[in-house]
Amino acid sequence: MTAPARASRVAPSSGTANPVRPRDRRSSPADVALLVLGACFVLPLLWLVLASLDAGAGHETKVPAALTLDNFAAVLTPGLLLQPLWNSLLLSAGTATVTMAAAVLAAYPLSRYRSRFNTPFMYAVLLGTCLPITAIMVPVYGLFVQLELLDSVPATMLFMAATALPMAIWMTRNFMDAVPVSLEEAAWVDGASRMTALRTIVLPLMRQGLGVVFIFVFIQAWGNFFVPFVLLLSEAKQPAAVSIFSFFGQHGAVAYGQLAAFSILYSLPVLALYVIVARGAGNSFAMSGAVRG
Amino acid sequence: MPARLRGRGLLRYLPLLPAVLLLLVFLAGPVFWAFQASFTNTGLTGRHARNPEWVGLDNYQRLLLDPVFPLSLGLTVLFVAGSAVLGQNLLGLALAVLMRRARRSVSALVGTAVVAAWVLPEIVAAFAAYAYFSRDGTLNQLLGGLGMGRPDWLYSWPMVAVVLANVWRGTAFSMLVYRAALNDIPTEVAEAAQVDGAGGWQRLAFITLPMIRRSIATNLMLITLQTLAVFTLVWVMTAGGPANASTTLPVLAYQEAFKFGDIGYGTAVASVLLLIGAVFGVGYIRLLREEKQ
Amino acid sequence: MRRPALKSMSLIASALIILTACTPESPESSSKTLKVVYQKTDSFTALETMFQTAKQEFEAANQGVTVELQPIQGNDDDYGTKLALALRSPSTAPDVFYEDTFKVRSDVDAGYLLKLDSHLDGWADWAKFDDGAKAAGRADDGGTYAVPLGTDTRAIWYNKKVFEAAGISLPWQPHSWQDILDTARKIKADDPSVIPFNMYAGKATGEGTVMQGFYELLYGTGATLYDEESGKWVVGSAGFKDSLGFLKTLYGEGLAVSPAEALDANVWKKVFGEWFPNGKLGATVEGSYSPSFWQDGGSYEWPGYAQDMAVAPFPTQDGGAPGAVSMSGGWTLAVGAGTKEPDLAFKFLSTALNRDNSLKFTLDSSQIAVRSDVAGDAGYQAANPFVKDVSGLVSVTRYRPATSDYPRISAAVQEATEVVITGAKSPEQAAADYDAAVTEIVGGDKTVRK
Repeated sequence: MTAPARASRVAPSSGTANPVRPRDRRSSPADVALLVLGACFVLPLLWLVLASLDAGAGHETKVPAALTLDNFAAVLTPGLLLQPLWNSLLLSAGTATVTMAAAVLAAYPLSRYRSRFNTPFMYAVLLGTCLPITAIMVPVYGLFVQLELLDSVPATMLFMAATALPMAIWMTRNFMDAVPVSLEEAAWVDGASRMTALRTIVLPLMRQGLGVVFIFVFIQAWGNFFVPFVLLLSEAKQPAAVSIFSFFGQHGAVAYGQLAAFSILYSLPVLALYVIVARGAGNSFAMSGAVRG
Repeated sequence: MPARLRGRGLLRYLPLLPAVLLLLVFLAGPVFWAFQASFTNTGLTGRHARNPEWVGLDNYQRLLLDPVFPLSLGLTVLFVAGSAVLGQNLLGLALAVLMRRARRSVSALVGTAVVAAWVLPEIVAAFAAYAYFSRDGTLNQLLGGLGMGRPDWLYSWPMVAVVLANVWRGTAFSMLVYRAALNDIPTEVAEAAQVDGAGGWQRLAFITLPMIRRSIATNLMLITLQTLAVFTLVWVMTAGGPANASTTLPVLAYQEAFKFGDIGYGTAVASVLLLIGAVFGVGYIRLLREEKQ
Repeated sequence: MRRPALKSMSLIASALIILTACTPESPESSSKTLKVVYQKTDSFTALETMFQTAKQEFEAANQGVTVELQPIQGNDDDYGTKLALALRSPSTAPDVFYEDTFKVRSDVDAGYLLKLDSHLDGWADWAKFDDGAKAAGRADDGGTYAVPLGTDTRAIWYNKKVFEAAGISLPWQPHSWQDILDTARKIKADDPSVIPFNMYAGKATGEGTVMQGFYELLYGTGATLYDEESGKWVVGSAGFKDSLGFLKTLYGEGLAVSPAEALDANVWKKVFGEWFPNGKLGATVEGSYSPSFWQDGGSYEWPGYAQDMAVAPFPTQDGGAPGAVSMSGGWTLAVGAGTKEPDLAFKFLSTALNRDNSLKFTLDSSQIAVRSDVAGDAGYQAANPFVKDVSGLVSVTRYRPATSDYPRISAAVQEATEVVITGAKSPEQAAADYDAAVTEIVGGDKTVRK
């Protein structure tokens, strides 16, 4: 791939339609195929919606005998939903921010300097993504005990940031590669330091990419159950991923309707965030920049 | 590609420090501990909890003799090959190609549906998938409605169910990557091909795919590594059953370490998983490197 | 292990943490603090109530001592994981905690629990505890390490309407396995759409498979799982094969649910929530806590359960003594071995388990009383129509041999039931596989042929 092609993606016009597709030529077979595939993706969500509106929900999908918002009313309490959601927001936003800051700093030398060490480093780091976190929770807990960090939200954020970093560095480096060095050079001539140039020139140009990285990390942190469950002790600090287990009784009985209602309310914030970021990033979600080798 | 600039010695790598520290302390440290624990009989409870003994390669020897291990290894490969390499990858590509030919409103609608499954918190997605595939779930209600059989997916075809669920959940990533990659193909190339009279399939096979091959290789590597670590989805849907018929390596590692309290054995399983990740990783890196030359 | 490596990492990480402005909790003041860890979910708050009350009482009686309650939100497995992690480090180990009876022995082996004998000697209430229940807190060395909160028993729960419809005279009491099969066949012949007699099997239902199924069979044959005297696991018993054979008959003739349904981890929800209330199930083996699902505020409210349901003790194989079999689990309170204030910790434990608190907890969570003064209370006896039936089983009940090897042994038993009900293996083959698995798990010298 050539540099101009990459740079064109971060230009402001990248959101416009691709000229390869004649805009007025309509191909109905493609429409139909897409709609069928799309329906397959929506179907599993059907249960979630129907059960949330059904007072007597089980894990079968059925149209409720009577529509009711009781399930939502039952879960919409400060202790059960609002506080955990707020905690989730804090934890996920914090994790995503720390991750992005560390990833941007790390990506700069990896992107701008040529060294034999760059590529092996990137691949070694990337290997971390295939590690199931459950497998290392015992030593991590031991580490937190030693450092007296248990029950600390900032420390939990740092750990979650570390687990998200491999993908984040990889993606950020690729986005940064797409920003031509020539733009920075102009700033250096004006006497700006490298870090100033990074902040004022490079970052604004890759903000779509940063949005992608942010939401990628945020989504992962938002859904993470095991890490906060193990590392946080106080009930008041637990995120929604943990409080969702309230719907499983002592002997495992499940309040399905409430579980579904809770799931929906719990998922809405990330869906909303995605929509906002995707709007800002144009229709292609600036994704290929994230993974180019 | 712009020439990467020379900096001043090691100092220029200073921005890497926060990321490296985070990775060392919170990821490499625990991984190293876990690897070491795999040579001991460390237990979560019982007589070896506080005074673990060094047992050398015993745990690995046990792995080789354990009839569940080869099964689990095979299932993991099946899971990765079926849901990531084939499922997510091909479906993602198909969606991306179709979206370029379909109406804009249709592709936006379907894109949202596909992404929704990806954005959902993992635990919610897992419940939705469980409900979908359960005996009286949506899928069987549909099949019943069409006059087909109502197989007991989670019992008779547990791997099919978890593979499909993971395709459902993860395809968005590949779709976004390929949409963006296709958008980057220069217009002239496609137009030239059309002028030459190449048909749709021919254009895809001989022009489009070769042009995005780097995106394909990288995407394959990322989704492979991510899929290797999938735990929650399988755990919630089948818990590895019936009769270990869906016990992938992360599930096996979790069962051994936490259900049976055998941390030494559990970490041995996790170490093998990391090794498999490395083998896959090296494979894709080779592929990428050949591309570069 | 690797403490040095962790230490050097600690330094780096501490620096990192300070940079990110962590606010460590202020060092503890001169007053004493007791840390109490227990389980709490949205639908299980009985324990929370009990500890809140005990905290108030205890702090009022012991000036200068603070009780720090630390509930863990999670299901039994997750609670166990987190408690085990906390117990691993002396600095995080709680002073008093909620402990599953089947973890007591392995946690004693690990050195996590404080031996309570000397404290119990000075506690007048201890004499009121049921002897059988006391055994749940006893370890291999004969010492007591945990005090039971309550217990449960298992029996046959059957739907009288279903039985009546099939022309079976009530009250029904089987005296042997054959009686069960005869009755089940009669129900099936009368109405093939009804599941006559279910018993859990397979790995999906986990401990439910063995506690509400296999052990009722095994312990009724005269065989056991574990020989307490020699401390060895029993292999090659005829009783084990017979028990598997019974399950084979039950599932093979379609008298229980289909194997596919049995291997769904949620099958028991159908038992309580659908099949019993709708008259689709004749009988099953279940715990004394069953009414808590059907009572007001339970997960599967069913106002008619008191009229429709009945209880019968599970019979021995051929009706031999003692005539009935039951299994018990339940939870205990324990004191951490590393506690700095063992006297205060025990004092808190005894406050939490005094008569009034025990009574309230027993009622709130549908437990079987382990204190004679609670058992004799009128409120307890009137809690539901079945209290008397299930409490009576305490005299014949058994506890699991919960050594640290137990979880694996239990998994091997579950596996054996699974291959038998799916028809993958014969009872003989499955029993032979089980024997091999046990030998592999504990070593040949820890097994005994009986």
